[in-house]
Amino acid sequence: METQSYLPVPPGVGMEENFLSLDDILLSHERLPSRTECTFPRLGFLEKSSDSRDIQEGTKMEMPLFLAKGLYERKRRVVSVELPKVYKEGWRTVFNADPTVVDLHKMGPYYYGLGSQLLHFDSPENPEIAQAVLQTFIGRFRRTMDSSQNAYNEDTSALVERLDYLERALFKAGQSGLNSFQNWERGRASTITASSLVLNYRKRKITDLQP
Amino acid sequence: MDPSEVEFLAEKEAVKIIPNFSLDKIYLIGVSWLTATCRQRQKCRIVPPEWMDVGKLRRQVGRKTFTPVPSPYYMELTKLLLSHASDNIPKADEIRTLVKDIWDTRIAKLRLSADSFISQQEAHAKLDNLTLMELNTTRSFLLDTLNCMYKLPQDH
Repeated sequence: METQSYLPVPPGVGMEENFLSLDDILLSHERLPSRTECTFPRLGFLEKSSDSRDIQEGTKMEMPLFLAKGLYERKRRVVSVELPKVYKEGWRTVFNADPTVVDLHKMGPYYYGLGSQLLHFDSPENPEIAQAVLQTFIGRFRRTMDSSQNAYNEDTSALVERLDYLERALFKAGQSGLNSFQNWERGRASTITASSLVLNYRKRKITDLQP
Repeated sequence: MDPSEVEFLAEKEAVKIIPNFSLDKIYLIGVSWLTATCRQRQKCRIVPPEWMDVGKLRRQVGRKTFTPVPSPYYMELTKLLLSHASDNIPKADEIRTLVKDIWDTRIAKLRLSADSFISQQEAHAKLDNLTLMELNTTRSFLLDTLNCMYKLPQDH
């Protein structure tokens, strides 16, 4: 039976984020190109390219997601966020054509997560972004399922490297299902094995005792 | 769900035995886990269930659609009986291969239908004659995918 003493909080799916999830915290560090709509007085030191004391209106900077989300307001007085190029028209047609070819890990390892969070920013292209993200997911699903269910006891790093984090979590779930079934079939499901923590501890202790 | 849990549920199935010892009553039907223990202590011989026959299984492999299974727990019973009592069962190796073939075909079909289910974004799918073990292997993956599929495109 798989019981863990530590169950990590999974990332939120879609537009919500789980506050305690490490994946979501890392996701919120992704930078978005944005433009300030009003001056930020006395914050000029943050903007290295200009020497003024304040950040002028209309400056283009890159903001992390958590900052952009916090500062964004519907009346659009503070910041306006531009879409990163992966979510723009050009890349959307690429994804439409063939989603399986793209290396999603390189495109921003949080393609699905960031795509869903972008929907918070009320861009006019929101429905297209949502559709593109969904269609990419569906297109790549088959390959993820096949590779996760058929790779037993092999090195999976080659299969996993083109997947984004959401797909990697799915891959892991599929692998664990496969592994527990294979374990059961070989009759190893009921054998008791020493916990890895105990083994490591014991190793260290023996080297301590030997002078 | 764990495969061991599924196996536990499967062990309730009745299996015929011929005991070597005699008691006041002669029991000719045993429950799987009981027969496995008896067999280990060499107190009985196991009679294979009727579906565990090379001819019948070979016919089962050839069919194309999701037909009714030989037994709702065929996988677990095969594993248990073949590991404990392979000499009681004629042509044990062939049976093992055939059951594995049946399993592989069914799992492949299950994956195909899961794939078409997701790619057409259906909300509801019906698949008859699936056994618990097959369901169990794909359960967590499929549920997570469906969860993602449901939540990703939602716009406010």
